[in-house]
Amino acid sequence: MATCTYTVPDKNASGDNFYGAVICNQAYVDYFWNTYGFSGNKAYWDDGWGWDDSCNTSKPLARAFNGCYALTYSAPDYLNDSYSSAILNWGRRYVRENIDDLRCFCGDGTAIARSKGGGLVEVYLGFFYTKDVPGRAETLIHEARHQGGKPHDAKFPTGSTFGGGKSGADSSWGYEGAWMYGALYLWWYYAAGARTTSALRNRARQRGNVVIDNAFATHPGFSI
Amino acid sequence: MSGRSPDTPFLGGPDTLETTVVEHPFSFRDSQDKELNAQILEAVNRMGGAGEDAEDNYRRAVDELGKRAGEALGVIVAEYEALPEDRYLDRWSLVQLLSELRQPEAAAALNRIIASRIPAEKARGSHDDSTVTEEVIIRTTAVEGVVRLSADGVEEARKILLRHARNRTFSIRRASVQGLLETGDDADKRELRALLKERGEQGLLRIKRMDVSQVPQAIGGRFVVHPDVKREVPPPDLSGEEG
Repeated sequence: MATCTYTVPDKNASGDNFYGAVICNQAYVDYFWNTYGFSGNKAYWDDGWGWDDSCNTSKPLARAFNGCYALTYSAPDYLNDSYSSAILNWGRRYVRENIDDLRCFCGDGTAIARSKGGGLVEVYLGFFYTKDVPGRAETLIHEARHQGGKPHDAKFPTGSTFGGGKSGADSSWGYEGAWMYGALYLWWYYAAGARTTSALRNRARQRGNVVIDNAFATHPGFSI
Repeated sequence: MSGRSPDTPFLGGPDTLETTVVEHPFSFRDSQDKELNAQILEAVNRMGGAGEDAEDNYRRAVDELGKRAGEALGVIVAEYEALPEDRYLDRWSLVQLLSELRQPEAAAALNRIIASRIPAEKARGSHDDSTVTEEVIIRTTAVEGVVRLSADGVEEARKILLRHARNRTFSIRRASVQGLLETGDDADKRELRALLKERGEQGLLRIKRMDVSQVPQAIGGRFVVHPDVKREVPPPDLSGEEG
């Protein structure tokens, strides 16, 4: 058991204060809690993590719900989550089919999230406070892809921002691994994300491009 | 469905978190103009908007600040420099704002941000958390600001893009090359091609910006459906929530 602390701005560009007003509705709280792997994990999301304060976007639970809101409602036609549509539509379906158990921890500062197998994903402080709202949706998709059976299969290329030569990259775009899923989600968010701003869409573009440039052993040859 | 019982207290050891809330991340130490400070805060805050009117609200805030863009420039740059290194999102938001205001005078500040040394990685043991990546995202956003100035005909901006076509960081080089190809004149492009040839980096010219619908898509659901597929529950409809 660890105790951690964090200082969080009430207002900044993360998107939380605005999403907060939206997710503070029992219908959404119930849906997110029961759909994305929170259910059964009250003990983890209590003790400062927001279980008893789920509208308070300075707390992790509401910030996780904000990511879930972006995941669920960023496609213009959000009710369509068919796998024949874009990942912006079916990303939420993929997450709910692959992440069954979502738990929060302080972490040791070396990861945003970790996939533990069997549907269990752990998220750490950086997930709530370093990532913006669409970035949290991207992380859930990334981890869901690991749960779906795709581990990283390559080392980061020389000069990579993630650390050249370290394990944790995907070999190529065509491998369809976690980095490809995350980058593609960000790309669609940039191109077609609804109910958001051009600023957050631009941030998704910048992050997506850096992933494309640095997380594949072989550069895909295109950018956003 | 999960076999776990709903929310039963257990004997494990979950972590505890203590949060401290501050009003906003900025100090405005060098700006006593409360109205201008509030306009900057409003624009940054609206960046993260959600809902059908999010973009309209954001644009309104930027347009309002744009009326005082000249004064705002110095305050934004000072706040950027005053922020702690690890406030990556807040630093990014100020660079995004500089980019939005499209002030030719911002070119020098954007260049300083792009050229600034990237601190050593602080998350060395991680494959998904990278402070260097956060730093690069800030700098490629600054490149985007320079590209906008170049598109507006600011000559200094084109020179900056050419300079950073030789930046040591790949993503900054790639963004600078693409930006100059899109906004530079023929002479700029000739100079760029000669530079890349000299450095053996003509491969950068082959990385094309593409429409997302034209790249290979992920095929969701292939090999991947969890054995315990949950029942298909539609999310609550948004109708009635947003007007």
